[in-house]
Amino acid sequence: MYLVLFALLVFSTCHCLDNNEENQDPCGLLRQWIETSSMSVDLNKEGYHRELTTTVELSPDAFSNVRVLLVYRWPRGVYVDPFQLASMSAQRDWQILLDSAIDLELPAHQTSGFVTFVYPGLSKLTSGPLKVTIPVHGRYHMPSSDGEAFTFITIEAPELLLRTETCTRLSSLEPHAVVNAPCTVNNLTTCGWVQIQQNQMIGPISFQIPVGDGSLVVPVCGGTLLITLICCVALTKYMWKHRIVDA
Amino acid sequence: RDSRVCALSLRLFLIAYGQYQDSRMEVKYTDIDYHVFTDAASFITQGESPYNRSTYRYTPLLAWLLTPNVYFTAVFGKILFVVCDVLSGMIIYRILCLQGLQSETACRFSSLWLLNPLPMGVSSRGNAESILSALVLSTLLCMETRRLTLAALFYGLSVHMKIYPVTYALPIALSLHRSAPTAEGGERRWKSLIRFIRGFFNKDLLLFASVAGGVFCSLSALFYHMYGWEFLYETYLYHLTRRDIRHNFSPYFYMLYLTADSRWSCLLGLAAFLPQLSLLCVASLAFHRHLAFTCFLHTAIFVSFNKVCTSQYFLWYLCLLPLILPHLHLSVREGLMLLLLWFSAQALWLGPAYLLEFKGLNTFLWVWMAGLLFLIINCFILITLVVHYKPAHNTQRLKVE
Repeated sequence: MYLVLFALLVFSTCHCLDNNEENQDPCGLLRQWIETSSMSVDLNKEGYHRELTTTVELSPDAFSNVRVLLVYRWPRGVYVDPFQLASMSAQRDWQILLDSAIDLELPAHQTSGFVTFVYPGLSKLTSGPLKVTIPVHGRYHMPSSDGEAFTFITIEAPELLLRTETCTRLSSLEPHAVVNAPCTVNNLTTCGWVQIQQNQMIGPISFQIPVGDGSLVVPVCGGTLLITLICCVALTKYMWKHRIVDA
Repeated sequence: RDSRVCALSLRLFLIAYGQYQDSRMEVKYTDIDYHVFTDAASFITQGESPYNRSTYRYTPLLAWLLTPNVYFTAVFGKILFVVCDVLSGMIIYRILCLQGLQSETACRFSSLWLLNPLPMGVSSRGNAESILSALVLSTLLCMETRRLTLAALFYGLSVHMKIYPVTYALPIALSLHRSAPTAEGGERRWKSLIRFIRGFFNKDLLLFASVAGGVFCSLSALFYHMYGWEFLYETYLYHLTRRDIRHNFSPYFYMLYLTADSRWSCLLGLAAFLPQLSLLCVASLAFHRHLAFTCFLHTAIFVSFNKVCTSQYFLWYLCLLPLILPHLHLSVREGLMLLLLWFSAQALWLGPAYLLEFKGLNTFLWVWMAGLLFLIINCFILITLVVHYKPAHNTQRLKVE
């Protein structure tokens, strides 16, 4: 009798555990989180100094289990200031990895685009959207030759990548692609991440910055040299007129 | 004495306030340059080159001086800059007394530096400009007291730290020039030219040149041996060949931006350099007997006609202003008008520059015109100072017909 009860107990526990394991298939959960995630991108501020805000919505139970990575592919017309990012590290909960050194002073046509990997911090949040605000700065562009006052810079939306420690069969998550990217901001190892294909593709964001007018090069050069010459001659005249000689 | 104590305490208070603001608010009080210096100093304490810190474009001497930032306290550098600042004020007082001013008058003029909020703010924020102003003023003081070896030492050191004092070489050479008495009955032009050139080869000038040159060369050799080509490039060559086409106060900014990639850019760069050079020569020849005034004119001309001009450069000639003010025959009202004119010209530039950078409006033409206007106003102010500069020395002003 007791033996039967005991067997029943063991059997039901095993069954429950089996059910739970089935429900908690890590890759299945990951697929679930992928399909319930969404992202939006916004550009704020004006002029040469802007802020790109990326908001990521994940289902609440994902936060403690999943790692998030945002991959930004920046065009040559903008740059991020690594020193500014370092100085604001205390006020932000995300970390950033740059793929190359950034020269802050070069004009756009002398640089190339670059890639940044942003790792939002998930430990503090249990719910609510993730927000990453990155300050970006426009570079000086070549002057326009046809009198155009502005040029457009287009920033692609970032790629949203997810990963969990437990799911290793990433290929089972088709049609979502698997990419390799640094596991953490320390860039010591590379892991496989799942790239989320958004149903509504988020279009690129464009903004315009002023450029010099190349068609005015002759009047500008002429005017500048004329005025500096006049000032030079006037100053020379007065300095020589009032020069001090020994008695 | 009171103003010295007051000046020092105000600056120390600002340092303390700066620490508070840095820890509490998002907008930092401390200048970004100070962090660059401290990072470079920490590289040195680890036995590495300070140039591992990108954007460190100064002499290694500065990073070495600031190594106590790493060992003792992070504010050591700021305290050093503030002390140099107050020292500059004291040197100004000494020079004014040597020029024959009453102690009280000299005190009032040196207070223009000691109690001026601009140098106070700059040093307490962690800019190293005060070290240079102390060195330049020490050179002038030693020249005034004829301690040439010491003057040459300070001069060599100041040129090592920043290049712009090299322009003072000409007025210093001219002030140490000894011309032989004129031959009677007039002489040929080429003979007087030879006599003029020979006047440069006297004991004082050769001593000055060898000590200053020796200090500069030995420091350069030492740091080249320690840090190699990177030292030469970052400390000197970068500043000489710098082509920053972003908007700044310089009248040449827009011209250089529009021609940055054309084949004319080299020629235009040279065309921008020639007025600077010729004005510096004329200023030296006209006023070399009054070294402080010449150095002030030199720096003001250099900054106004330079291809790149930022507000940090204005401090280079501001420290010399209290030395020439007592000899200016300007009423207070006229002086204030000139000051107001100078600030208005800056404001007229800052307006369109703000709209360009922070609002994204295409105000390039306005920025260009404001830059030219700033040059015109700077020249007007310099001409006014030249016309009203009447020092009470034994030298005669050349009479104008």
